[in-house]
Amino acid sequence: MNDRIDFEQVREVVRLAEELGVAELEVETAALKVRVKMAGAGQAQAGAAQTGVLSPASRGITPASVPAAEAAGTDHLDAVVAPMVGTFYRAPSPDAPPFVKEGDFVEENQVVCVIEAMKLFNEIQAEKRGRIARVLTENATPVEFGQPLFLVDTSATRG
Amino acid sequence: MFRKVLVANRGEIAVRVIRACHELGVRTVAVYSEADRSSLHVKMADEAFCIGPAPTTGSYLNIPNIMSTAELLGVDAIHPGYGFLAENPRFAEIVADCKITFIGPPPKAIEVMGDKAAAREQMQRAGVPVIPGSHGPVASEREARDAARLTGYPLIMKAAAGGGGRGMRVVHTPQDLPAAVQTAQQEAQAAFGDGRVYVEKYIAEPRHVEVQILADRHGTVLNLGERDCSIQRRHQKLIEEAPPPRLRERTLVAMGRAAVRAAQAIGYVNAGTVEFLVDMHENFYFMEMNTRIQVEHPVTEMVTGVDLVKEQIRVAAGERLAFGQRDIEWRGHALECRINAEDPRHNFRPSPGTITTFTPPGGTGIRVDTHCYPGYAIPPHYDSLVAKVIAWGRDRHEAIGRMRRALLEFDIGGIQTTIPFHLKVLDNGFFRRGEIYTDFVQRRIELDTL
Repeated sequence: MNDRIDFEQVREVVRLAEELGVAELEVETAALKVRVKMAGAGQAQAGAAQTGVLSPASRGITPASVPAAEAAGTDHLDAVVAPMVGTFYRAPSPDAPPFVKEGDFVEENQVVCVIEAMKLFNEIQAEKRGRIARVLTENATPVEFGQPLFLVDTSATRG
Repeated sequence: MFRKVLVANRGEIAVRVIRACHELGVRTVAVYSEADRSSLHVKMADEAFCIGPAPTTGSYLNIPNIMSTAELLGVDAIHPGYGFLAENPRFAEIVADCKITFIGPPPKAIEVMGDKAAAREQMQRAGVPVIPGSHGPVASEREARDAARLTGYPLIMKAAAGGGGRGMRVVHTPQDLPAAVQTAQQEAQAAFGDGRVYVEKYIAEPRHVEVQILADRHGTVLNLGERDCSIQRRHQKLIEEAPPPRLRERTLVAMGRAAVRAAQAIGYVNAGTVEFLVDMHENFYFMEMNTRIQVEHPVTEMVTGVDLVKEQIRVAAGERLAFGQRDIEWRGHALECRINAEDPRHNFRPSPGTITTFTPPGGTGIRVDTHCYPGYAIPPHYDSLVAKVIAWGRDRHEAIGRMRRALLEFDIGGIQTTIPFHLKVLDNGFFRRGEIYTDFVQRRIELDTL
């Protein structure tokens, strides 16, 4: 069985917080810990964190729903997602520096990582300009289709 | 035996394959599209990997993403299920090139049977009766007229690359032939990217009877018996049963032998099905061979006691079949009803949506294969099969009675299903007497009184 975060559960918590009209709500189960902070006027900011229940089967793969949930609630954060199944590499070769690191400013269409699939290295580009707010995936790990790799703060300006 | 098998499919067949693997102590990898995140096969497998967006070309037909997943997760075999990539010889080849075992026949066998004209030629050489018709695709009106002399009228024109009832056209008189050739070629080109068509004798009131084959890599080819799949609508099978009612023992034996010859002729390995058309006089003609497990395989499992999917996996792992032809016994009678998310009261229109209540039937002699559960949302992107209900009885009468009881018990809320249609067929006098043919639904079932 896999232990992905259930998006529905996260949505439920947000809905509950809205209904109760509270400023902050934290719900914790064995598999999931969700804290919702209400920003005001019906707008919710959800920050989800999964506690350590990854099955051995998933071998350290970041559950896709964690950063997606995080990104969903924040206006300026944009996720760069894996367009294919493959192995995620942050640098063009093992000795080379990473394409980007947290805090770097990236331009639209700038290469941010490569995904190796079927013995081919596919360059992955940022879709929007902004600052790399977070690197979500470990170097040299398998990634699923649609898995978020980076969060880009699109409200940031260069300099 | 394999350590880890990737199931390159979804729905009930993915669940079926995962169950077989787990019984054999083999770990499983489910692949899924973004629309199938909450599907049962994803929950049941030991590992699951998202391979693409909802449309099948990006996910379940996406060979690079499936092969990447196989390599990343270190699987040693891939089971293709039915549909999607199951009968794609290129896929079988790529899998082999990656040093992974394809749980199915050799690519060459898939390729031969995938080309109707090539298949027919091979079958004729192997002494398997084929429907009188053109020796190969007809290129012109003149060639079609030559073929018509062999077949007589009415005749049927079929796309060489077609299947599942698509790309077919009946021609009733010589006057209609010239226009029909042109239209059929254009249609075939548009639908399959291959304009070749061939001409066959049209058989009135035929039955669809098929033979289940199981072959290992050591030269053993077994006949696991016949299934009648005559109850169809628009060439889609709805009810299947084993053994076929009202066919002489002699016919069944001859058909079984012909099917074994067909499999041997193309060096077939693994489970496969040889489909025949049977006319009123019990002449049978080779139609095609499906080089994969079929939707209706459970009816054969119910009467033989053989787990076909487990045998597929064992055979692919190189094992010898542990039983011979003489060990196979057919006990009783089994029927399968395909429950689709379609509204039979409105011309079988698709009825996707969220299943609110779901209580499958049970009890003696009932088996339900499904990937659905209460709260499951049927994605609109895939086929409408919700569940297969299989009923076994000591004889056909008991099996029909049990099926009827099971379908009345089956509670599926939130969507429309084909259950009312099935009940109507089960209560039909002609069906009860075993008078069935491929246009049974059209002729005997009044859909507006459902």
